[in-house]
Amino acid sequence: MPCWYYDKKELRETPSILDGVTFETERRYRKEGARFIMECGTKMGLGHNTMATGVVYFHRFYMFHSFKSFPRYVTACCCLFLAGKVEETPKKCRDIIKTARGILNDNYFVSFGEDPKEEVMTLERILLQTIKFDLQVEHPYTFLLKYAKCFKGDQQKLQKMVQMAWNFVNDSLSTVVCLQWEPEIIAVALIHLASKLSKFTVLDWLGRQPSHQRWWDMFVSDVTMEILEDICHQVLDLYQSTQKEGQEPNSPPQKPPSRADSPTNNKVLSLLLPLPQNSSIVDSTTLGKTKAAPPPPPPLPACPPSDNGGLNPNNAAAELNNIQSIKSLASAVPVETLPPVTLNTNANYHMYHAPPPPPPPAPIAPPYPPPHYTAVPPNMGYYNAGRPQQPQPRYQ
Amino acid sequence: MSPFKSASDGSPCNYENIHVIGTGAYGTVYKARDNTNGRIVAIKKVRIALTENGVPMSTLREISLLKQLNACDHSNIVKLFEVCQFLERDGKLMILLVFEYLEQDLSDYIENLPKSGVSRTTIQRFSRELLTGVDFLHSHRIIHRDLKPQNLLISSQGHLKIADFGLAKTYDSEMKLTSVVVTLWYRAPEVLLAQPYNSSVDIWSAACIMAELFMRKALFPGTSDKNQLDRIFELTGRPGVDQWPKTISVSREYFPMRHPKRPRDFCPTLCEYADDLLSQMLSYDIRLRPSALACLEHEYFQQEPL
Ligand SMILES: Nc1ncnc2c1ncn2[C@@H]1O[C@H](COP(=O)(O)OP(=O)(O)O)[C@@H](O)[C@H]1O
Ligand SMILES: [Mg+2]
Repeated sequence: MPCWYYDKKELRETPSILDGVTFETERRYRKEGARFIMECGTKMGLGHNTMATGVVYFHRFYMFHSFKSFPRYVTACCCLFLAGKVEETPKKCRDIIKTARGILNDNYFVSFGEDPKEEVMTLERILLQTIKFDLQVEHPYTFLLKYAKCFKGDQQKLQKMVQMAWNFVNDSLSTVVCLQWEPEIIAVALIHLASKLSKFTVLDWLGRQPSHQRWWDMFVSDVTMEILEDICHQVLDLYQSTQKEGQEPNSPPQKPPSRADSPTNNKVLSLLLPLPQNSSIVDSTTLGKTKAAPPPPPPLPACPPSDNGGLNPNNAAAELNNIQSIKSLASAVPVETLPPVTLNTNANYHMYHAPPPPPPPAPIAPPYPPPHYTAVPPNMGYYNAGRPQQPQPRYQ
Repeated sequence: MSPFKSASDGSPCNYENIHVIGTGAYGTVYKARDNTNGRIVAIKKVRIALTENGVPMSTLREISLLKQLNACDHSNIVKLFEVCQFLERDGKLMILLVFEYLEQDLSDYIENLPKSGVSRTTIQRFSRELLTGVDFLHSHRIIHRDLKPQNLLISSQGHLKIADFGLAKTYDSEMKLTSVVVTLWYRAPEVLLAQPYNSSVDIWSAACIMAELFMRKALFPGTSDKNQLDRIFELTGRPGVDQWPKTISVSREYFPMRHPKRPRDFCPTLCEYADDLLSQMLSYDIRLRPSALACLEHEYFQQEPL
């Protein structure tokens, strides 16, 4: 099984960097590619999982190839195209390209060549080989909701916190955290961040054991505060949209001018901005041309959807202090080696087919059907839990 | 022999084929050597037509599932090392599924048995491993649908692993068009009668395979659809009027009257527990067949075989 996680050193020696692209430029390309996928996907009505899967393919792809050899928006289209099929929300290649054309500046569209569809289709096979057919990817969203279901406390505040964490997950796709840590850990980190910022402290949770000191001890093991902070900081750094970015040389591939002149904010300023309703912070603060509005998270059970997941600007200064105090808070927790709840990799496979997993602490049970499950239509090898099946051409 | 070479991106898909192991309706399986590490592997070549929208969604879903199952590293499922692809000259996509190589399949194994046959301990172990693998597939909502000795591989340590699920399963419509004879011997009656079915078809097949281990020959070696059903009814009894599917044209009266028998009547060497387990697994009524997990909890597996 190939490993899709990289350490800091490996992330400094990517094919692009070895190819002469600077570290900062590569990060900017990644961010632009990720946001483009989100924007394109949102316009086409694709779900958050499909978009996130596309973004993860994108990040993985550029651990093997240089941005100089593969123009990022073509790759981005291809990733979204493939993710659509894998997540069973297929979009026609032609339609993705049409949407891309609507988003991208004409100058840029040159990188799609004479025959954009052919360009994307050819890339599909390279993409498949590069990501080694590891098509199923899990995302922090799943874990965010799973963990939040266990939290006790003011439901409205909880909902607000979840909304904020959800936005952070959207934004985290523009960073490389998915190349560094498992989605479970990213979810923990971003809930932690949101809970600091929204002042919803998780004091008690369902399934709490005496050995649990922090709520995430129930779900993940071997997570240090340093890791959590690193994830949070990568996400927070996004809100620091730098002037440098806009001034960087635009080749190769050209950056659409609409994106180049994003407003210049410093970190404090962007944090002072209220979080837009149901929309990713970054998109609204830095996107020039279009505002992508990723869908809100599904409401938690027995908890009405919040209509305000944002920060209160009046409190932002205080909240900034909260961010800075994450570390001090962490060190206040007595550290002891705990019997960890290890990540059950098998459980992931069950979730792939099954409806959302039961909330912990119930053990994650395989969806074992009693005693046999229903028939599959002829020619379908797999049980398919009542999903409508697209007619597919047969193999030849 | 031409080595397999990968796509233009130069990824490490470097195999040299040694010889053909099997050619089925679906493609060809080769014994091959991984040139990067000398490891011997089995490569299944599958050709698919690219659609207007690239690699078909069903193919992607199935490969994705295969890879995920594989990540569970189940000891009774053949291990998939990697998946490669390249474009052929005719524009079709060749997909190579690279599996661990196992010396023989269960049909070879049975064929090569000494006169004394298989020990009861070995039969019990193979049966347990088969049902454990089936339980694993079923718990991931995969129905194999073509369990038979040729699709069960035996490792050099004598362990059984299930092969040939996933990708191959979507070929059925084409399978009927080819002249390759597909064995009916392990088919459940509801499949032969073109009725709706569920994961219990695998339980039926597993029972046929278990009986074959005892008998060293097939339990229901049918020669045609009708003959296959008739042989089955010889054990289960001819279904009653109320049990006969209403949606098919073939009449119940087309089959001779049969009274139910015991598996033991076909295979006298079965112990009492095995007889009981197999008679449940070979129920005509699919609702009466136990799940793989229930089979594993049967008394037959709870003690030393007699
Ligand atoms: N991993 C393997 N190691 C050794 N032999 C294998 C392996 N996989 C398949 N075979 C042999 O090749 C034959 C055909 O493979 P299979 O996967 O069943 O393809 P088909 O779809 O053509 O039935 C099997 O019956 C078995 O004898
Ligand atoms: Mg086979």
